[in-house]
Amino acid sequence: MLTPLEIIQKKRAEAINRIIGKGYLSKKRVYVGMATCEIAAGSKDVMEVFQSAIGNGLTDVYLSQKGCAGRCNFEPTVEVVEEGKIPVKYGKVTKDKALEIIERHLKKGEIVKEWVIE
Amino acid sequence: MSTKYVITLCDGPSCMQKKSRELMAVVEREVEKYGFSGKVKIILSGCLGMCNKGPVMIVNPGYTIYGNVTERDIPLIIKAHFEKKLPVARLVIEEGHLYNRFYRIFGDVKFFGKQMRIALRNCGIIDPESIDDYLSVRGYEALAKVITEMKPEEVIAEVKNSGLRGRGGAGFPTGVKWELTAREKNDQKYLICNADEGDPGAFMDRSTIEGDPHTIIEGMAIGAYAIGSSRGIVYIRAEYPLAIKRLEKAINLARGEGFLGKNILDSGFSFDIEIKLGAGAFVCGEETALIHSIEGSRGMPRPRPPFPSVAGLFNKPTLINNVETWANIPVIILDGADWFSSIGTEKSKGTKVFALAGKIKNTGLVEVPMGITLRQIIYDIGDGIPNNKKFKAIQTGGPSGGCLPEKYLDTKIDYESLAEAGSIMGSGGMIIIDEDSCMVNIAKFFLEFTQNESCGKCTPCRGGTKRMLEILTRITQGQGEEGDIEKLERLGKMIKKSSLCGLGQSAPNPVLSTIKHFRIEYEEHINQKKCRAGVCQSLLSYSITDKCAGCSVCKKVCPAGAISGSLKNRHEIDKNKCVKCGICFDSCKFSAIKKH
Repeated sequence: MLTPLEIIQKKRAEAINRIIGKGYLSKKRVYVGMATCEIAAGSKDVMEVFQSAIGNGLTDVYLSQKGCAGRCNFEPTVEVVEEGKIPVKYGKVTKDKALEIIERHLKKGEIVKEWVIE
Repeated sequence: MSTKYVITLCDGPSCMQKKSRELMAVVEREVEKYGFSGKVKIILSGCLGMCNKGPVMIVNPGYTIYGNVTERDIPLIIKAHFEKKLPVARLVIEEGHLYNRFYRIFGDVKFFGKQMRIALRNCGIIDPESIDDYLSVRGYEALAKVITEMKPEEVIAEVKNSGLRGRGGAGFPTGVKWELTAREKNDQKYLICNADEGDPGAFMDRSTIEGDPHTIIEGMAIGAYAIGSSRGIVYIRAEYPLAIKRLEKAINLARGEGFLGKNILDSGFSFDIEIKLGAGAFVCGEETALIHSIEGSRGMPRPRPPFPSVAGLFNKPTLINNVETWANIPVIILDGADWFSSIGTEKSKGTKVFALAGKIKNTGLVEVPMGITLRQIIYDIGDGIPNNKKFKAIQTGGPSGGCLPEKYLDTKIDYESLAEAGSIMGSGGMIIIDEDSCMVNIAKFFLEFTQNESCGKCTPCRGGTKRMLEILTRITQGQGEEGDIEKLERLGKMIKKSSLCGLGQSAPNPVLSTIKHFRIEYEEHINQKKCRAGVCQSLLSYSITDKCAGCSVCKKVCPAGAISGSLKNRHEIDKNKCVKCGICFDSCKFSAIKKH
């Protein structure tokens, strides 16, 4: 019989496997804030833009939602994380800006500096 | 040039003594030598919680933590990262603290640099609707550890040693509360999470539940194990639909994995959680009123003793803690009480979440170690007052708290120091007020709220706050009388002393603290009928300047017929007829109307 700690280690390993299975090790990870304040600022639309881009064939991108990042005056926020690089946090992202971010940052690797929260 | 590296130097009190500032100068010099100055950001952060290994330096990306750094080490470190892309192994320290993860995905450095996210360690990092995400960041490991390796008394001892105090506002030592509840012998004990969060402008608990609901479930399960309870209830206000939805989902997922329910993780320990919705009453954040609300009665407080730990919900021993308190528990278990108590001040350990709002550039949720000053929060994290306006006051603790003027900016955040300064920590609301706000009006705003929310059971609160509000309203309408300030002070002190519960005991605080620190504004309102911030409508007067083009728009829109004048000539406002509605001011296209 496994002790609770051993059960947890096992569950954790399985959870990590499932997350990797969903594409966590993709080149780029995109997180969209989805708490009440973010949704009120329009982050649901932004999330849909990213979802349809992936549906339309955007590859090597892991998309996930996250809770309140606490950056109220910059919502909606989108974070793009790449292994070995400083994460890039975009603020006040609209549907149009999201499309730009997909074209320039996700597809061509060009950070859109004007919208980055420094 | 965009930032390629971020070098963080710990500037907490312990590392500062070991010369983190001098190290910063050396780092800048070395970076300059490589010509990397534009690409490297060097920042001083708040205490990073690794005091015994200071001075601490973190290099990102890669999240390499260096400890015991001396000036001679720096050229080696810089060279290693910029040239070889390999860390200097000798100096690297392994720190598996849970909260450090936030630094792993570092960015937006100015805002997060001085923060220390413990209760919010996973908010903004994981998907709150995924239990896999929570498991991958060592979720539920604290619960497993407690069930496997610790006896209930040991868990309570750990929480006591950590120095954690209730984050709902009262600051009662959490470990002691657990001990008192555990001590009771009863076949049924209850555990409650107070997620009512009634303070206007406060959203700390909402964000925690929407961003990381599992940490609360885990904290509650650990608490239940420690005191011997099998039933937990989360009392959450109905105005938080998304938080309720995410919490429900989290509870279902936790049950599915065997973290809640009968025989958790095959250990024989059983515990389950249900959700009870509030119905819009601020007073139900008060623990006894909350308990009555769950029982099905009107939310009204009762005198204590007996305390809920002895006779609470349905007269059974009940442990009730705030959301943020529960969120800290898994960290205390995994990272240890010793580490937790190394953060903060002597009497206030750990961190506190604040909701920064009002006239400040960076509004948002911040979690800072106790002991940081108000000035650092407002100017370093919050980035100061927008539009170049002057800072006037900071309101802490919501409608139960007080307003502190500029001379208190160097007060350290700590339960005792804030109380000494005349305010309270409260649940963490922090509203910044600038020169364009009227302190009398702000006091009236908060009193209106608490008066409305008074349950009515005791006379001092029900009647006293109403009378105070009447006096304040008169003052803001230009009908203040000699002696009003003294009346407010007398009433306020009396209500504080004789109210039955915390709502009444703290309702006069905004009024009393604004009288204490801004008495002159009250005197101006009463004696000179003047509102220096230009907020109280009835105290304003309007006049037309010579920018007037004589278009007559104002004359047409004036509801009192107080404006006279012929076309193309300067118009005039009859002050006797003017009702100070401000419609002319808003309609003038030539900005020719002046407000006094």
